[in-house]
Amino acid sequence: MSTRDETGMHDWSDDPRLTAYALGELGGEEARELEAQISGDEAAQALVAELRTLGEALEQGLAGESAPALKPEQWHAIEERLGAPTAPSAINRKSVAAAAGIGWRGWFAVAATVVGLGVGATFVLRPGERFGSLPAPAHESEELARQTDSRAYLERLRGLGYIGADPGEGGKPTPAELGVQLQSLGYAGGPGTPVPSGIAARSHRMARGKWTRVEGERDQEALRAIGYSGGDGEEPLMEQVFFDDLSEKTLQDLEQLGEGNREGYDPIVENPFRAAGRDPLSTFSVDVDTAAYSNLRRFLGEDRLPPADAVRIEELVNYFPYTYPAPTGEHPFSVDLEVGSCPWKQEHRLVRIGLQGRETLPEERRSSNLVFLLDVSGSMNSDDKLPLLKRALQMLVQELDERDRIAIVVYAGSSGLVLPPTSCDRSVDVHMALERLKAGGSTNGGAGIELAYEVAARNYIDGGINRVILATDGDFNVGVSDDGSLVRLIEEKAKTGVFLSVLGFGRGNLQDAKMEKLADKGNGNYAYIDSVLEAKKVLVEQMGATLETIAKDVKIQVEFNPREVQAWRLIGYENRLLAAQDFNDDTKDAGEIGAGHRVTALYEVVPVGVPFELPGVDPLKYQAPASATGEAFGGELLTVKFRYKRPEGERSTLLSETLVDEGADFQELSADTRWAASVAAFGMVLRGSAHVGEAGLPEVSRWALESAADDPGGYRAQFIGLVAKARELRGR
Amino acid sequence: MTPKPDAAWIREVLERHERPLTLYATRLLGDVERARDVVQEAFLRLCDQLNSGKQERAALAERVDLWLLTVCRNLCHDLHRKESRMTPLEEERAQRAACATATPAEAAERRDDVARVLDTLERLPEKQREVLRLKFQHGLSYAEISRVTRESQGNVGWLLHVGLKSLREKLAQGEIQGAEA
Repeated sequence: MSTRDETGMHDWSDDPRLTAYALGELGGEEARELEAQISGDEAAQALVAELRTLGEALEQGLAGESAPALKPEQWHAIEERLGAPTAPSAINRKSVAAAAGIGWRGWFAVAATVVGLGVGATFVLRPGERFGSLPAPAHESEELARQTDSRAYLERLRGLGYIGADPGEGGKPTPAELGVQLQSLGYAGGPGTPVPSGIAARSHRMARGKWTRVEGERDQEALRAIGYSGGDGEEPLMEQVFFDDLSEKTLQDLEQLGEGNREGYDPIVENPFRAAGRDPLSTFSVDVDTAAYSNLRRFLGEDRLPPADAVRIEELVNYFPYTYPAPTGEHPFSVDLEVGSCPWKQEHRLVRIGLQGRETLPEERRSSNLVFLLDVSGSMNSDDKLPLLKRALQMLVQELDERDRIAIVVYAGSSGLVLPPTSCDRSVDVHMALERLKAGGSTNGGAGIELAYEVAARNYIDGGINRVILATDGDFNVGVSDDGSLVRLIEEKAKTGVFLSVLGFGRGNLQDAKMEKLADKGNGNYAYIDSVLEAKKVLVEQMGATLETIAKDVKIQVEFNPREVQAWRLIGYENRLLAAQDFNDDTKDAGEIGAGHRVTALYEVVPVGVPFELPGVDPLKYQAPASATGEAFGGELLTVKFRYKRPEGERSTLLSETLVDEGADFQELSADTRWAASVAAFGMVLRGSAHVGEAGLPEVSRWALESAADDPGGYRAQFIGLVAKARELRGR
Repeated sequence: MTPKPDAAWIREVLERHERPLTLYATRLLGDVERARDVVQEAFLRLCDQLNSGKQERAALAERVDLWLLTVCRNLCHDLHRKESRMTPLEEERAQRAACATATPAEAAERRDDVARVLDTLERLPEKQREVLRLKFQHGLSYAEISRVTRESQGNVGWLLHVGLKSLREKLAQGEIQGAEA
């Protein structure tokens, strides 16, 4: 469907798709769709022609630029490094010089063609073995370029953020995990996804962890050759498998999924175990975001397992309500600690830290000055985006009253104020403004966000809630400025007291990492809205929490007692880690807690006396060996310190608690802690964590069932449903 | 000693890529000599990768062009940072200043349209210029540019779009001014 502006004509000059089309970057179906849209539109056709001419001029002009070569001594240095001091022949150098500017450009084209030839062929060979049956490549380099082994493939997957970037500690992904990852990328035959030949079937097989069916004699033979005969034996390492069809084309496809599915997730490297003797401090910033959970729910709802990096364990855990004691003293939040045996590793201990923020009663609620910054670009034009956003806002407006003012700024190709600050007792005006919203145009958030902050600043309420709420489905393109300056702007505004919250909508284009980062810099939170129910949870049930900050720059530092603790590992919070010295540094920004918010953090602790080896670390020579005595569980296990600032404060306040391990069994722990452990284990299984041990989805399901009795809101029941769904998907 | 086929391969890669890489680095740094150093360093790292056995040649060979571009790019940015001529956030301004390579004499020599396009290109913001060069000079696809620059593909598409758009507009403006003059 084409989007049109008020004059009824689509302004193609503002649409990056047309540029992509003119440059031959659109895939088959998309290209056809766009062709259909611009057929008969002379202006658009002319624009395409103009863009192509301009492209040719650029290509021609740039090819003529002089390309300086390295100096002979630089060549020499490089060759020396390789231990091969032979200098290239003069003829070689000359021919290179002559070909410069053309040869290397041509190479890309040739390489692409040759690589294309391999698509669809399925080979499983020993590493290093070459093909005999394909046409001889035009040049040795192309041949080499095609010799991609699975390691390169994994590297690229890693580069794309689909696999944790930690080959050392995380272990190599098994074919099963890789299959799951491919599956989650839509290679398992998601609706409307182009599936390269052979890949879907294969990823299914891999996802099962067993090769149940292999097409083609040659495959069978090759599989047998590397001990892959389909038995129940050990899962073979990826390294042994040479996938031609999973090499260039697949990676291109994965990258091309960009067009249809350009969800961006920052890679997460799971926190490793650290020795308490050498590394007794764990410092991190609180995080009350929950977007990863609703995003996970969306994936499973679409019959897909999420990519590992979309699973942020702390956000899954923090999604659920827990009944920690309410704060009573001077501090805006209470602290609750618990420790017992770790369900996935009996001899380890699981420490749960719980923070409970003060609730605000509706009548104590401060007045608010909310500026909604809504993305109304063409991509928002689907039922799970703008219409859902409108309903969410209507629900919110009903909860607000004369104390509150709402303004709405929209952005697309251009941006503008569609609702000046309006008191919420005039909700009709707000509703009418919402009704008028329509999606169309491309995204340019830069001007919009400045306008939104300007409106918020002009209507600043002293002592009130001043917040810009950005609602978008993804690419928050900022025109001429870049991410860096956007982040700077948001940080600056946060210092003036105007905070930023981000609501993510829709799928296929979700720039998860970016949105989380923006909210983080803006002293705000990030929620992903996948349904009316989620909208209600975030905007209505938790409205106080979403909007009202009760403590900011909340940091947690845990000091482990090496007499009791051999090693420790923080579960989740990978992108919230702080340096130990940042804890006392009030200029270092950290997370916020809103009214009624809860924060839960889990540690897996290896007590002294349990056989355990830190991977890659030799025993220390000069450290006095900690001995396992009868008192091992008698002393303090750890001290946890918190620092926070009042919402308008500049200086932080410190509080601390200690925890003694009474040796509780997992079953003796509170249902809340057991629940948090189940959720964390679910995240670990989905992430393919190396630390989850024997635990799998059946265990997760059991632990969850045993701790779900108290379930106001039905969130826990829903989770159990999701675990079942994941089991089903994995079993396929 | 076993023979070192890596050496022959490196030489070939070097021959093929030294000029495009040096050109790319020159555009980022505004200085041929330092660009050469960067390219040399990138190749030394490639050798180290091979020698250390961390990556096998087949793995590197797959897209050694993108690997080298990415390493060069990182090195250029490191260099900028080290010389504290800019913080990462100020990249754009600093690089624009550094890249004003065309002297008036050179500019005068360029008379045809292609030259005018190139001149105009130099007036675009750094990020747009970079992706335009990667696209039209190095022949990379959106996906490949995204790998080298670590921008999302969506952003690459956007930067190219905005870059071409403002290039068109600037060229059109120039034409009007030229006609008036």
